[in-house]
Amino acid sequence: MRLAPFQLHRPTELHAALALRAQFGDDSAYYAGGTELLLALKARVLRYEHLIDLKRIVGFDRLARDGNDLVIGPLVTHLRLATDPLIRESLPAYARLSDNVGNIRVRASGTLAGNLCFSEPHADPPALLCLLGASVTVHGPNGERSVPMAEFILGPFTTARADDEILTAIRIPLPTAGEQFCYRSFGHLEYPAVGVAAAYQSQAGAPRYRVWIGCIGDNPIHAEPVEAALAGVPPQALSDVLPQAAEAMAAELPATDDIYGSADYKRHLAAVFIGRAVLESAGMPGGR
Amino acid sequence: MSAAERPDRVDFLDKVTGRAAFISDLDVPGMVHGKVLRSTMPHARITGIDIDAALSMPGVIGIVTGSDLGGIDPIWGVSLKDRPLIAIDRVRYVGEPVAVVVAETEALAEEALDAVMVDYDPLPYVTEAAEALAPNAPLIHDGVQPLKDFYFKGEAKPVAGTNIFQTYAYETGDVDAAFASADRVFEDSFDFPMVYHYAMEPHCGIASFGDDGLTVWSCGQAPTAVQKVLSRIFDLPIARVRVITPLIGGGFGGKASVKIDPLVATVAWKIGRPVRICFSASESMLTARRLSATVNLKTAVSADGMLQAKSVEVLMNGGAYADTGPAVAIKAAIRAIGPYKIPNLRLRSTAVYTNTVPGAAFRSIGGPQGVWATESQMDIIADALGIDPVELRYRNMLKRGEHVRPDLTPIDVDMAEAMGLASQAMSRLDAQEPHRRIVHGTALGIADPANSPVAGVLLRLKIDGSIAVISSSIEVGQGIREVLCRVAAEQLGQPVAAVSALTPDTAIAPFDWGTGASRSSLMMALAIEDAAADIKAQIGDIAASTLGLDPARIELVAGGFTADDKRYSFADLLHPYFGIDSGELIGIGRISPRSRGGALAKAPLFWETAAGRCGITLDEDTGEIAVKRYVSVADIGRAINRTGAEGQDEGAAIMGLGHALFEELIYADGQPVNGTMIDYHVPTIDDVPAQFETVLIENGGGPGPGGMRGMGEGAILPIAPAIANALATGFGIRVKQLPLTPERVWRALQDKKDR
Repeated sequence: MRLAPFQLHRPTELHAALALRAQFGDDSAYYAGGTELLLALKARVLRYEHLIDLKRIVGFDRLARDGNDLVIGPLVTHLRLATDPLIRESLPAYARLSDNVGNIRVRASGTLAGNLCFSEPHADPPALLCLLGASVTVHGPNGERSVPMAEFILGPFTTARADDEILTAIRIPLPTAGEQFCYRSFGHLEYPAVGVAAAYQSQAGAPRYRVWIGCIGDNPIHAEPVEAALAGVPPQALSDVLPQAAEAMAAELPATDDIYGSADYKRHLAAVFIGRAVLESAGMPGGR
Repeated sequence: MSAAERPDRVDFLDKVTGRAAFISDLDVPGMVHGKVLRSTMPHARITGIDIDAALSMPGVIGIVTGSDLGGIDPIWGVSLKDRPLIAIDRVRYVGEPVAVVVAETEALAEEALDAVMVDYDPLPYVTEAAEALAPNAPLIHDGVQPLKDFYFKGEAKPVAGTNIFQTYAYETGDVDAAFASADRVFEDSFDFPMVYHYAMEPHCGIASFGDDGLTVWSCGQAPTAVQKVLSRIFDLPIARVRVITPLIGGGFGGKASVKIDPLVATVAWKIGRPVRICFSASESMLTARRLSATVNLKTAVSADGMLQAKSVEVLMNGGAYADTGPAVAIKAAIRAIGPYKIPNLRLRSTAVYTNTVPGAAFRSIGGPQGVWATESQMDIIADALGIDPVELRYRNMLKRGEHVRPDLTPIDVDMAEAMGLASQAMSRLDAQEPHRRIVHGTALGIADPANSPVAGVLLRLKIDGSIAVISSSIEVGQGIREVLCRVAAEQLGQPVAAVSALTPDTAIAPFDWGTGASRSSLMMALAIEDAAADIKAQIGDIAASTLGLDPARIELVAGGFTADDKRYSFADLLHPYFGIDSGELIGIGRISPRSRGGALAKAPLFWETAAGRCGITLDEDTGEIAVKRYVSVADIGRAINRTGAEGQDEGAAIMGLGHALFEELIYADGQPVNGTMIDYHVPTIDDVPAQFETVLIENGGGPGPGGMRGMGEGAILPIAPAIANALATGFGIRVKQLPLTPERVWRALQDKKDR
């Protein structure tokens, strides 16, 4: 189907956008890249009388370093994140993730902020952002607040953002020296069935690993048991510990049967990609 | 434009610049727009449709439902008369049209759809063929009438009181005796899913009633079949139904026979204004799909691998309406034979109604289903007997001139040559990357196209030497207009730039059976040959009577002809003949089963064949197959447009790759669960093997000018079994169900570990 008629508003600054939302209430929604929203509107799953287009708001396209953080404005597209030298140099794993989102048309118009606000459970970004310790800033009628990424995604299509709030920035702390990241996802349909983000940090004689699992549950899952099992294990010795830790973790994952695969297969995939992502983050062969 | 600047195809410039007009680009004066409300129930009685609220919405002109069909014949079909123009009191699948809202714009029609309220009383439903056969299965039709020789030659054989709409049986030799005495008997069952055609252009049409009858702008691949069905529905003389077919954005059988024109025309008839209806891709997915199949094979083999008997048992899921399913069911059984000498043969096929999207023709009807089974089993046999699978095929291969089946024309190509070339080409590809571990698989496919030798063409040679080709062959992306131009140019000795192929229009184009079954290039080339001979005869007669020349000494050259070393333009001939410096000659070419001394009546007219060899890798942890290399070989006799023919072959192979790895329309609780292009994956350029070679053999020997055959449907046949055979060879797993999804392959690997 096509879009039902709506009125388009194009504010040029944040407070005008908030004022429009206050004026039209639940009959209105914010809109940036539109790759998720327009599909839902066309399918008539959602319907709004007013769309508040954020694309003309000055400064919303910011992509910059701010102290020890990377700041990603709400209009920054996946394509920019995949190609911008700042991201490619400081967070190559995130640039690669972005380069693999959807297809070129989605990457060119879809924004990371919109992707997070929509909270499609099979999206790639949340697991890696959780791993990176990212936070999001939201602005509402009562001002600004910051929410850690791990607390932002509440479930499928549900986030900590109130409907009248605008996600104004994603902040990612720049990795400390010696920390390496990897994100791997797999699926045979448009969206991945499972995604795994892994980090490796070599601290004088005490290697540390961190792992988050995305797509398989309602929100990203912190694989603390894997991290505990791997703590202190040098990369060369991972093969003694990692398969068992990955499988034990995968067995506990909340997978269900759906078109992405049967639950047992998806748990198996999680184990495979926990292994591959951890190995790759540690620079070991076998990560493929 | 000079000849050197001319692109490979006459339609390329318009298409790449976006100038090409498709049906959805057309605007007929007074035209209004229809949108279809579709059934949400797999099987139900309609107890009420409330249209009042929708009728009062802005721009709404009218709403057509099953209660508006008084005065016309509301039931139609092409094999069986089983299909209402729009649901009447009952729906038989999710997606069936229940009402059409007509409004001044498409957007206003769509807005009003939600306001149409339909009350349903659910009926028990079946979505699987086996369920539909059960003794207590709900009956989907109360009784249907076969239409003999209506579209395809022949007649469906439904079984009264059941959901069976087609039964087919063929037997030669003593099959049971051969099974009883054989060294080895192999029994295997294979499944092929429902798959969707995915033409880039969804179904669309415009219909307009006027003083001169009914005119439709149709996306149908068989304009004359559309014309005939519409004439029956509205009780109009055939000559007063005009079907115009602009450029069409892909069909693959999904627009073959007759699809949406009866609905579009009915709405125009009821509303009294020209009506345009254009489906979305999701709606087209609810309009037609390939028949899914279970194919049971039982094959008797001697210890040294010689095939002695084969029994093919096909069960097809034909969906809610038969469409051309009865023909598909027959072809699936025949196309499961393969290019092998099998002295004792039993074929059985059954097609049933279910509460799913109607099954329909799809590139090589029944072919991929049958070949998937047979070519998988050939490797199973080879493995069990310890014979190399290619060697097993050589041992049993029919030679050119030998019979696939005693009552069918003998095979007219050398399949051993095709298989050999596939191996050679793969060796070349392997040599380019020798270090990589690749597993190979081979499969062959042969199909007997239903060529229906009824066709016609008009050639109009204008006084300035330009030529118009008028035919009913539709340009559906396959490049027929270029073929028409090249053949006409060749037959009349004129430059191809002088020739135009006109938009098909049944008001002026001679009757033709339709565009499909790999027939148009061949049938039209034959017709053009005759039409050109007609023009040459007329030139000879006029040259003799007007210029006093000896017709036997006339030779056509660019822009005219020569006789006795003197050059004449066409104006030099026609100006004195007509008395004015204007005019044309019209050549008529007609093809019938009696043409060429009856040679075109034999069935099949040629064999469409393919050999495929793949090179794959497998991620054993995930079950994901990567097809790294693929070779497709076909003997097409002679290529008219080589790059176009290669494109057709490549397209068929990659379409088959989609069937092999990704595609399956899935039903749960009577509902299609992946009926959008987001959830249903068709191959993209990223899925095309990095090394991919098409080898077209031009050995002549076909029935067309220069020994050409039809082509374009062969390469879809072998790719799925070739990949499955590579999986078995390299990884010891035999998967008998398509698509070969990562999970299915992984599960087979697990089962093997557990054994």
